[in-house]
Amino acid sequence: MKPAALLLIGLLAIGLAQAAEVKPPPGLLKLDGRPAPALQLADMDGKTVNLAQLKGRWVLVHFWASWCGPCRREMPTLPKLINAFPPERLSVLLVNTAESDDEVFTFLASVSPELTTFMDRDGQVTERWQPRGLPSTFFVDPQGRLRYQALGGRDWGSGAYLAFLRELTKAK
Amino acid sequence: MRHFLILLMCWTPFSFAADTRITREGLDFYLSIRTPEQTNAFYSARGLPLIAVQEIAKSCFLTVGLHNRSTDTVWLDLATWRFTDANGRAITRISLPEWTARWQALQVPLAAQATFGWTQLPETRDMQPDETVGGNVPVVPPQGEFTLIARFPTGAAGKGKPIEISVRGLSCPRDGVAK
Repeated sequence: MKPAALLLIGLLAIGLAQAAEVKPPPGLLKLDGRPAPALQLADMDGKTVNLAQLKGRWVLVHFWASWCGPCRREMPTLPKLINAFPPERLSVLLVNTAESDDEVFTFLASVSPELTTFMDRDGQVTERWQPRGLPSTFFVDPQGRLRYQALGGRDWGSGAYLAFLRELTKAK
Repeated sequence: MRHFLILLMCWTPFSFAADTRITREGLDFYLSIRTPEQTNAFYSARGLPLIAVQEIAKSCFLTVGLHNRSTDTVWLDLATWRFTDANGRAITRISLPEWTARWQALQVPLAAQATFGWTQLPETRDMQPDETVGGNVPVVPPQGEFTLIARFPTGAAGKGKPIEISVRGLSCPRDGVAK
């Protein structure tokens, strides 16, 4: 094959790859694809989760605290997001940062009783993930790599985010 | 501005009286100095033990909020901020690693240490366009008025023209009176 034809095929392949990448809505910071830190935590009932066992699906890891104003406003928008996707396609893991069961139970009961959260009781898992603040949400791809971080709070039930996540979770 | 204020509410429920607000070259800068009563209430409500709250009360807490409204990256690096008194003498900022050392010496639980850390302005941070950052900056309380000169490098590599913000006439409240 001639060099010019090879070049053309190469350019076409690059163009297709770029077109396949879904454009994120404002407020999402693209990350470099480094492996997600370990995350193994229990909820208030003792049920555990291990992020490493969720490979093969997209996972949103959402760090929050009840004392954080934007977290309180964002929390009621999460059920719409969670209910929009089957968990084998997109799982949402809520991680409370360094609060007690009493504080978390009282807060969730008053804001979003259907939500459950995993408890980072001493805050050290959150430290390892190094979010840019609270709340903070990481997008972990099916290979367990960090792809995006949401900056601050937002309405996760809005059309822009749901459409983005639908596109993102289509391709594995 | 709405998101900026929402972010500030994350860090503090206090009133906005006697606050400083400056916008320069696309960077919104907000500063308010807390009374000992305010910091006491703020950290007690977040579950910090009494021994930690008492330690915090010995310092002067400035709450700072930033909103990068420019189209470029703006860098926060607290090590480059300068606090000076009326005679030009440096006022000591108490960094997060120094607080961590204090908490370890006082055997403050890790959860309380983590919560305290999340209420502090990050030591370093790139601020992306439209990103907000907020938190507390503690200093050793000076006797009289003092000045803050805060520099913010710009550009993806931090090599662009820095934004400089000066705030004069600051003072740490005593006896619960905010000046």
